[in-house]
Amino acid sequence: MLSLKKETVAMLLAGGQGTRLYSLTRDVAKPAVSFGGKYRIIDFPLSNCVNSNIDTIGVLTQYKPFDLNQYIGNGQPWDLDRLSGGVFVLPPYSRGGEAGDWYKGTANAIYQNIEFVDKFSPEYVLVLSGDHIYKMDYDKMLDYHKEKGADCTIAVINVPLSEASRFGIMNTNPDNSVYEFEEKPKQPKSTNASMGIYIFNWQKLRKYLIEDENDPNSSNDFGKNIIPNMLKDGQKLFAYNFDGYWKDVGTIASLWEANMDIINENSGINLADNSWKIYARNTAEHPHVTGQNAKIMNSLVTEGCEIDGTVINSVISSGVTIAEGAIVENSVIMPNAQIEAGAEIKYAIVGQGAVVGKCAKVGESQNGDQWQIAVVGPYGKVADKAVVKIGEMVD
Amino acid sequence: MNNIISVIFASDQETKLDNLALHRTAASLPFAGRYRCIDFTLSNLVNSQITSIGIITRSNYSSLMDHIRMGRDWDLNRKNGGITVFPPYASNTSRNVFKGKIEALYGILEFFTKAPEDYVIVTNSNVIASINFEDVYNEHIKSGADITVVSYTAKPTTSKRLLLELDGNNKVVGTRITQTASENETEIGTNIYLMKKDILVEQVVDNFERGYIDFEKNIIQQNVDKLNIHAYHLTQHCALIDDVKSYYAESMLVLNAKIRSELFDGPGGNVYTKVKDSVPTRYRDNAVVQNSLIADGCDINGTVINSILFRGVVVEEGAEIKNSIVMEGGIIKKDATLDYTITDKNVTITEDKHMSGTEMFVTVIPKNKTV
Repeated sequence: MLSLKKETVAMLLAGGQGTRLYSLTRDVAKPAVSFGGKYRIIDFPLSNCVNSNIDTIGVLTQYKPFDLNQYIGNGQPWDLDRLSGGVFVLPPYSRGGEAGDWYKGTANAIYQNIEFVDKFSPEYVLVLSGDHIYKMDYDKMLDYHKEKGADCTIAVINVPLSEASRFGIMNTNPDNSVYEFEEKPKQPKSTNASMGIYIFNWQKLRKYLIEDENDPNSSNDFGKNIIPNMLKDGQKLFAYNFDGYWKDVGTIASLWEANMDIINENSGINLADNSWKIYARNTAEHPHVTGQNAKIMNSLVTEGCEIDGTVINSVISSGVTIAEGAIVENSVIMPNAQIEAGAEIKYAIVGQGAVVGKCAKVGESQNGDQWQIAVVGPYGKVADKAVVKIGEMVD
Repeated sequence: MNNIISVIFASDQETKLDNLALHRTAASLPFAGRYRCIDFTLSNLVNSQITSIGIITRSNYSSLMDHIRMGRDWDLNRKNGGITVFPPYASNTSRNVFKGKIEALYGILEFFTKAPEDYVIVTNSNVIASINFEDVYNEHIKSGADITVVSYTAKPTTSKRLLLELDGNNKVVGTRITQTASENETEIGTNIYLMKKDILVEQVVDNFERGYIDFEKNIIQQNVDKLNIHAYHLTQHCALIDDVKSYYAESMLVLNAKIRSELFDGPGGNVYTKVKDSVPTRYRDNAVVQNSLIADGCDINGTVINSILFRGVVVEEGAEIKNSIVMEGGIIKKDATLDYTITDKNVTITEDKHMSGTEMFVTVIPKNKTV
């Protein structure tokens, strides 16, 4: 038995397949998808934890876990290789001689790891998602949780009323206590959208997880079951208002938008702000090289790139080659992709290791808010002179 | 390759690095945008599974300690072996800082006698090359040599280079130590030696007791007829950095795609360095960047041509950097210009300031200066 007690244990839900990212999650779980040039999505919650002094994190994996396991490793890039605590990858496992179950839902994933959490005898459990881009001090949220004497605190962000019906909405009293939770309401009563970030008193959550597991009709989900059940029983649930940048990157469009937000200085997220660093596992690559013909504007370029073409308003990840005469505009190029001479890439995401052949065209320039993003899947090949249309996805 | 240990000299002839070595040893001299010179040697060793490494320091070694830390970035934070840094005072036989490499090696004899490994690689830290030591070892065994010296063909650009005369089997039959630079291409020793640990210990003890301190002169040159000394010839690019001129010239050669590929995709494998968690480099609307090597964390809104920017360099609008090297944290303000200039770490060039040197005499601006 580990003797060292932790006040808070974070449980990071990283098992989702991310079907709405299509081929980008064909080989990897969503949290392992490349982001912002040198990061993976999971770097954000992991770095937030470390920066918030939370050093014990369980990462719940299920779908295509190898890449994610390898990426997390012993947690050293996030300073999570600790003597006590650290980062633990928790796939489903067999308990007590029976065949193990897959994680049936978000709540069931934590239920199956009650023993893990119990080892640290925590007061609080922080439940996080592995598919959000944001910088957040969980320590402040924990202070709020304690101050309110809450059983559960749910981080919420103010969304436009027109979009509120896409989210789980927390309806609150003037003291911010939650009286109702509505999943994707047709007529939203408020604009407080749940960010999928919860702090629970562990003993309370533990009880509800066990009850939920015994309910055969439950879908074992935090939003659908645990939160409504706690509300029904009159437990103290509070909303915690977060006013920083936050984006769910579960779709191609939102993943592209979030990458563009990293370039845009007025978006509210600044990766270069050293007071809240985002850490990533580094690759051993030399500084990037710009050739005689390179033209790069309003873009991010990462180590290991060789650029001799034109790059405008784009995020270029590590190890990417962009040959002479190629044009990349308003696009995200993921690690080690090759853009050959004369190719044109506009409003597109080019997956890891993909090759876009000479003079091929991927996507097109678009105006207004109605853009659609073309996608070349990881390790995909676009033949010389081939065309990938607006919004089209190719493997 | 677990039968080899290595000893690295953090400095040998650093005095010639002038302003660049004011605050550091040659080993921690920044190179190629994100590395320190010693990264190449450390990475070559680690990639050849040589993981028991001693580093002998002499002076100004705090920047080296800060760079190496526990060796984790090279995967050298091991229970067995790993990195051992010998500060100058570790030698209990010399009251002063050691004068020559033999004296330094004599001071750490225990490092050799305690190690279970049979072979040792002795190297300086100013060698920029991608070397597979497994190949060096295999050739050493095959040739039946007592000592193998790693060598390459080039023009000796500075004094104190070890020139090798080889027979048809790459056996060293004669040596010279240059007094002046020369325009003739010749075989040059890299100051990297592989030999049985016993031979090294015997040579070090014998020479030290006779009062000899110069490794190249007393262990190599004096033994050409007595020992079988073999040259392992490198066909890939190799550079020895020992003065500002060679530092500048070799840095600029990294802009050449063929040489870059020989250094970074060569037989020695990946080159590792201290991880700094910098963000990707941001290019703004007025950036013009051609034929340059740019590390992460830069913020560029000016012109950069034929130059090398280290991590976290800021180039403001209207600033122009040509044929120059800007080390980590450099800030080149609005409308300032640099030509044939090396700015050391954390240098600020103020607005509208113009600094220039020539290819033969590159201007060097020391660490932390604002001009």
